[in-house]
Amino acid sequence: MTTTQTKAAVRPQADVPKKPVRRRREGAAWVFLSPWVLGACVLTLLPMAVSLYLSFTDYDLFNAPNWVGLRNYTQMFTEDPRYWRSVGATLTYVVIAVPLQLGLALAVALALKTMRRGRAFYRSAFYAPSLLGASMSIALVWRAIFNDGGTVDNLFGTGGWVNKPGWALFAVALLTVWQFGAPMVIFLAGLQQIPGELYEAAEVDGASRWRQFLSITVPMLSPVIFFNLVLQTIQAFQVFTPAFAVSAGKGGPADSTLFYTLYLYDRGFVASHMGYASAMAWVLLIAIGAVTAVLFRTSRSWVFYASEGDR
Amino acid sequence: MTTTTSTTVARKPLDWRRLALHAGCLAALLVMLYPLAWLLATSLKPANEVIASLNLLPGKLEWSNYKTALDGVNDVSVTRLLTNSLLIAGGAVVGNVISCSLAAYAFARLRFRFRGPLFAFMIATIMLPHHAVLIPQYIIFNQLGMVNTYWPLILPKFLATEAFFVFLIVQFMRGLPRELEEAARIDGCGPFRSFFSVILPLTRPALITTAIFTFIWTWNDFFTQLIYLFSPEKFTLTLALRSFVDASSTSAFGPMFAMSVIALLPIVLFFLAFQRFLVEGMANSGIKG
Amino acid sequence: MPGSRTRTSFRPRAAATALALCVVLAGCSGGDGSSSAGGKVVLRYTWWGNPDRAARTQEAVDLFEKKNPGIEVQTSFSGYDAYKQKLATQAAGGDAPDVMQLDYRMIDQYASGGVLMDFAEQPDALDTGEFDAGLLATGRVDGKQYAIPQARGTETVVYDTKRWKASGVEPPREGWTWSQWADAMRELAKKTGKPGATDPGQSEDAFEVWLRGQGKALYTKDRELGFTADDLARWWTFTDKLRREGAVSSAEQTTQIDGTVENTPLGRGYTISDTNWDAPSSGFLALIPDGVTLAPMPSGEDGTPGQYFKPSMFMGVSADTTHPKESVRLIDFMLNDAEAAKILGATRGIPVNETLRDAIAPELKDFDKTVYDFQASLDGKLNAPPQAPPSGDSALQTTFQRDYDQVSYERISPREAAENFITEAKAELRP
Repeated sequence: MTTTQTKAAVRPQADVPKKPVRRRREGAAWVFLSPWVLGACVLTLLPMAVSLYLSFTDYDLFNAPNWVGLRNYTQMFTEDPRYWRSVGATLTYVVIAVPLQLGLALAVALALKTMRRGRAFYRSAFYAPSLLGASMSIALVWRAIFNDGGTVDNLFGTGGWVNKPGWALFAVALLTVWQFGAPMVIFLAGLQQIPGELYEAAEVDGASRWRQFLSITVPMLSPVIFFNLVLQTIQAFQVFTPAFAVSAGKGGPADSTLFYTLYLYDRGFVASHMGYASAMAWVLLIAIGAVTAVLFRTSRSWVFYASEGDR
Repeated sequence: MTTTTSTTVARKPLDWRRLALHAGCLAALLVMLYPLAWLLATSLKPANEVIASLNLLPGKLEWSNYKTALDGVNDVSVTRLLTNSLLIAGGAVVGNVISCSLAAYAFARLRFRFRGPLFAFMIATIMLPHHAVLIPQYIIFNQLGMVNTYWPLILPKFLATEAFFVFLIVQFMRGLPRELEEAARIDGCGPFRSFFSVILPLTRPALITTAIFTFIWTWNDFFTQLIYLFSPEKFTLTLALRSFVDASSTSAFGPMFAMSVIALLPIVLFFLAFQRFLVEGMANSGIKG
Repeated sequence: MPGSRTRTSFRPRAAATALALCVVLAGCSGGDGSSSAGGKVVLRYTWWGNPDRAARTQEAVDLFEKKNPGIEVQTSFSGYDAYKQKLATQAAGGDAPDVMQLDYRMIDQYASGGVLMDFAEQPDALDTGEFDAGLLATGRVDGKQYAIPQARGTETVVYDTKRWKASGVEPPREGWTWSQWADAMRELAKKTGKPGATDPGQSEDAFEVWLRGQGKALYTKDRELGFTADDLARWWTFTDKLRREGAVSSAEQTTQIDGTVENTPLGRGYTISDTNWDAPSSGFLALIPDGVTLAPMPSGEDGTPGQYFKPSMFMGVSADTTHPKESVRLIDFMLNDAEAAKILGATRGIPVNETLRDAIAPELKDFDKTVYDFQASLDGKLNAPPQAPPSGDSALQTTFQRDYDQVSYERISPREAAENFITEAKAELRP
């Protein structure tokens, strides 16, 4: 990635595009990009490069790192059963939490859009849980609700969730789903951008509501749906705070909520194996990158951009 | 899911669907807000009721929890902490809105070399767990002499390091028809003019979303504030309240809940105040093709 | 500015990373400028704790500044988890505070990583004459004194006074053995219908007491494991059996332990007793209105005591400090000054300075007094504490819990879990 970066900075001078207008616009693009480029080089790329380097070392936070080649990686894949348990827990979580959260956020956003009264009230109320984040106190509330003898147990007689290995993951996923405010607000913002005239025209043509939803709302909203899907998937793979808070940092019971980044944190900061943690981080980056690349590939067939619509 | 209707539906005397919608939303809210009610109620419970009691309402109101929570920040006035928090969150909002929209415009509407790879790199930066880059970043800021200042909290926002918002604004900008700029170009607008006077106003919903999220997330970002701030007089409200609760020393659940409620109040007020701009954005959103 | 801080040499641990960074940041000086202001020496001093400890510490520091006009102390504190994370980041970034509070488990790591200064470099600034030699030795790594204990604590069987009495079971007495303890738990369960105690199987601390009762130790002097898979399998078989009988708490209860008293089975009212450290047990008072009693931990079958006086926290000085002498003087003041001791009381536990300990005793109130009396009842009867555990221990503490979780949820047998733990421990302790 370093090479791309330097090339990008050097090449424009090397072979200048022929059309002067093009060059002027290319120059403008770099002006717009300049804060990002500076930030990316100093605050992002540099630490990333360091962590990549550290992933091949035995860095322990306190002593100078020694090069160990691929040892962290081979150890991770072949000698660490807890690593694979954390992979399993994370995948399960992604599959449960992402569709539920996005579905709920979209449904509520659509419902709010049709309302004429009380919209501001509902929007604020539905967003309220998301204001909290996943702090220690909300984790305690969650445990009180999903504990044996807690609210859910009393209502449905299911027993506790947070203290059973098969159930704890659902309680954590529900905490994420409950805080669906961010994707909801983004959906609402996306819905606002759809020109009202489109619906008026469709009404005139006598299109049913379902028809309008399919042929106006979905395509016009698709860039935002795509954004939420990509971002929530990336964030779900990195789920940390809810599990850390609910399980008090342990990922229990019996490792059932020991998600990937929770285990990474445990290795890096509790056990001080920062080299190993860095290797875990890079494997995760590659895995998420692959999933995201697939999402981008499929997006060509279902995401509609007005700016490219006429092509 | 056939709920999408136009805003021009004729008014009917009694709309059962609308009524059902409200009923559904209220029922959902009842479930959703229950944990918040629990949080609020617990902040007023005496210690022996916090965990053991199943009643939502406290047996007796224990206001001393709030006093204890505020005791922790005695050395520094609450006004000072609030000012610090506002300074950081405000700076972050300004930084993110400016820098992310600039970068997003380039990615969404301009052509330049390596746009694809650079965009991919930008998305990749959010895929690496932040724990892995925490220490290198700390060393950088330490080298720059910025530890125990607000720079590590604000500077990154001015340099568009939050790819989340760049990508968000990109998606909104790509949703605008290409003809907009073409028309502007015919009128003699360069990329700068068309950015400021054509594209930016039309991306308002995304910019407001960015501002609101940045404010709330920066306000709540206990961890970064903890790592980079040392002197108590530079602490933020979140940091002061949250780091002063030490679960290992004494029974402190009641005060901890009280502290959560106190820390929550400013962002609730912020959200209530600014969410109306989302409504306003709606009124102006008609894109005349 | 004279005395202004310029970092001439870089810490080795940070050198490699810093090197990579300096390529880009060439010319940037690593200044944090916090070291002197207006000709005064400025020290940074951090600790973890609650607001009460902070208020008392600040008061003592103010007194120190008054007595040492040339020194200004910048203080900062936070809760334990936040503190641990922050200190590790600062240390890794070569930016540790001048004076810091340390936990037993941090010492070996911070010392061997070159973060801490050897107190031998400042022999005159600190007087350790009043400290118990065994306790002082816990702050030593490879023969060098890297940390000074501030206070001591010990493990205890803490129980709900009223409920234990009501059950009619004979109360714990000094010198009781683990098998007598187990019988008492069974009897409590039978009489009260509730488990007698929190399952101690998950606690590395309780295991250590049990192990020492047999004349063994968690770690050898060479920082290797001091026990075998057989020892651990025996311990876990012992606790697993009690759990199956209902004499100690179930897996679902035990797993909720998170370091707060509120979430212990005793705090939640599910059991009659718990094993805990003495001072933190004060938290139970708010939860159990009728009060708790502190009893000694069980001994080995031949009467060998397993519990010991453990330094509950230490003070250390950064190896990077530009003011080592002033830093050590601050520590000396906090630990040896009579006025400071009066201000600080027992906020960090019962002081280690023996003269001061006796001096503040009459002024102790409530639970501080209970703890003081409990410790006094054990004084002179316990064996010397082990040296600070090796670096890998903080990871092993969690591993210990995780492996036992697999036992108490009946996923694997105690024997398998013990062997897993030994494998992991050996990898962790590999030099």
